[in-house]
Amino acid sequence: MSAARLPRILSSVMFGALALYLILPMLAVLIYSLARRWTATILPDGYTVQYWISALQDPRLFGAFVRSVVLAGATVAIDVLVVVPATYWAYVRNRRIRIIAEMAAVVPFALPWVAIAFGILLLSGRFAPALLGTPLLLMLAYAAVHFPFLYWAVDGAMAAADVVALSEAAETCGATPLQIIRRVVVPNITGGVVSGGILVFASSFGEFALVQMLVGGSFETVPLWSADALRATLGKFPELAVITFTTFMVLFVLSAILVFGTGAQTIRLLPGARAVEQRR
Amino acid sequence: MSEIVLRDVTKYFGSVHALDGISLEVAPGELVALLGPSGCGKTTLLRSVAGLLQPDSGQILIGGKDVTGMPTRERPIGMVSQSYALFPNMTLRNNIAFPLVVRNVPASEITRRVSELLDLVQLDAQADRYPKQVSAGQQQRTALVRALAPQPDVLLLDEPLSALDALVRHQLRDEIRRIQQAVRTTTIFVTHDQSEAMAIADRVAVMHRGRIEQIARPPELYDRPGTPFSAAFVGSRNALELPVRDGQVSLGSAFAVRPPAGSGIRVVIFFRPEDVEIITDGRGHPATLEVKIFLGATTRLHLVTDVDGKQARIYADVPSRQAASLEPGSTLGIRVDPANVRVFSVEG
Repeated sequence: MSAARLPRILSSVMFGALALYLILPMLAVLIYSLARRWTATILPDGYTVQYWISALQDPRLFGAFVRSVVLAGATVAIDVLVVVPATYWAYVRNRRIRIIAEMAAVVPFALPWVAIAFGILLLSGRFAPALLGTPLLLMLAYAAVHFPFLYWAVDGAMAAADVVALSEAAETCGATPLQIIRRVVVPNITGGVVSGGILVFASSFGEFALVQMLVGGSFETVPLWSADALRATLGKFPELAVITFTTFMVLFVLSAILVFGTGAQTIRLLPGARAVEQRR
Repeated sequence: MSEIVLRDVTKYFGSVHALDGISLEVAPGELVALLGPSGCGKTTLLRSVAGLLQPDSGQILIGGKDVTGMPTRERPIGMVSQSYALFPNMTLRNNIAFPLVVRNVPASEITRRVSELLDLVQLDAQADRYPKQVSAGQQQRTALVRALAPQPDVLLLDEPLSALDALVRHQLRDEIRRIQQAVRTTTIFVTHDQSEAMAIADRVAVMHRGRIEQIARPPELYDRPGTPFSAAFVGSRNALELPVRDGQVSLGSAFAVRPPAGSGIRVVIFFRPEDVEIITDGRGHPATLEVKIFLGATTRLHLVTDVDGKQARIYADVPSRQAASLEPGSTLGIRVDPANVRVFSVEG
């Protein structure tokens, strides 16, 4: 074996191991959802689609799924409408806002969920008591605690696209602020908005602590249904596997469509990373 | 074509005096280069004319109209920045069309104007490519015609050639001059490269510490720098600090000149490497040849000589044929025509 081929083989082995590590759990969930009985053997005793049929026909689970999708989608919409203009303004007009935004982005990770939920309840009770226990409060709370994922992705995309230089160039071309945002800024940060939006959607979809503490069982989402299924006397484990796999596939397909659709290849997901490449 | 008039333009960044009362007039159709080292205020001045920075005081007039407080988008300008800032999501054609599109110019007029400009810079074949798919030189030409698309009264160029390699830079420098003379747009060109400024500009304004030190036509600036900074910055001159003795300043037998009236006991003198005459018959001021650097038609000699009791290095440019017979380590004589020696009082 030549020395030149060794790194290629090593990288293929590493990639294969990583793919297996990521795929294997989902594969196990899929097999479990289709298993007639799977206890003490390597593979199930037999296969059936009855759990898929019963799960998909369960109106309670379907309702929880729809509520989760709508809630996560609305959270993404609120965050995009608030975070993108604010980040742009912080970049182009007032760099000092960035310090506030960076600090605010750390809060959801620094404080325990109980403290955040209690704070939201206190604030809502004081200034908007009508919102207490409503899905609207939950939506606003989700937008507030999940915005860092979008902020970091958009911030990275703006840095990579050099929106300051592009905005100034557009301004010297005679463009109005609205024309600059619509024709120049947004098309060049789409990758960041999409990747951040997917993260906000995924984290909102899987949120358990806030929904439990802010609205409880009155607005059942998939995580609440899942917890209930686990607690049931005869645990609905196969149905749980069905909804887990379905949720994963929905997010995976959505991510794939958006990422390939917008041409984004590598997007900054964490603070510190700056690389954003656009496929042309 | 419009004139640009700057009156006492001042700008502070915190405690830094970036522009210190700049006054400048650029005649209609003229190309003025702002030349100076990094941090001298040349880009700040250009950005103030563009409206991307607001001066703290002073007035900026374009075509007789006060534009000091006017938003950038309303100023009759076109600008090319150092990074070109082409829009990555648009083809070269759409980049050039952008200033016309945002001004709601009719589509037929946009098509006509864009093909005229593509033709001007010979980019018809690349028109439908994206900026990432063309060379840096093609990006630069696109940025230039995008700035010219709305037929602005004033063109502002902020070091547009600095990101290019030497060969392309020289080609595009000449092309910018050709295009500027063709369209006769009043232009301010910012650069830190003196040869670029000399080659392209009708007049060169040398900037230092937020001030214009001297503004002159290139030959005048080259031959008669008005300040020590201009003399040092333009022409890669030899600079020596010498004492005034018996009303004269001399470097041994190399030259003797009269200092300007009111000079103190020491002065600083400048002379260009090409004005140093090398003598091999034992006359002239003795200097030891340290290094020879071949530059093509000429060779630069690094000479070490005694100046007022201390060793100093002097550079001389001689024809390469003459330099071939000179050996490093040998002692030569140097002489400089006093007419080519510039003398200034020592500052401070």
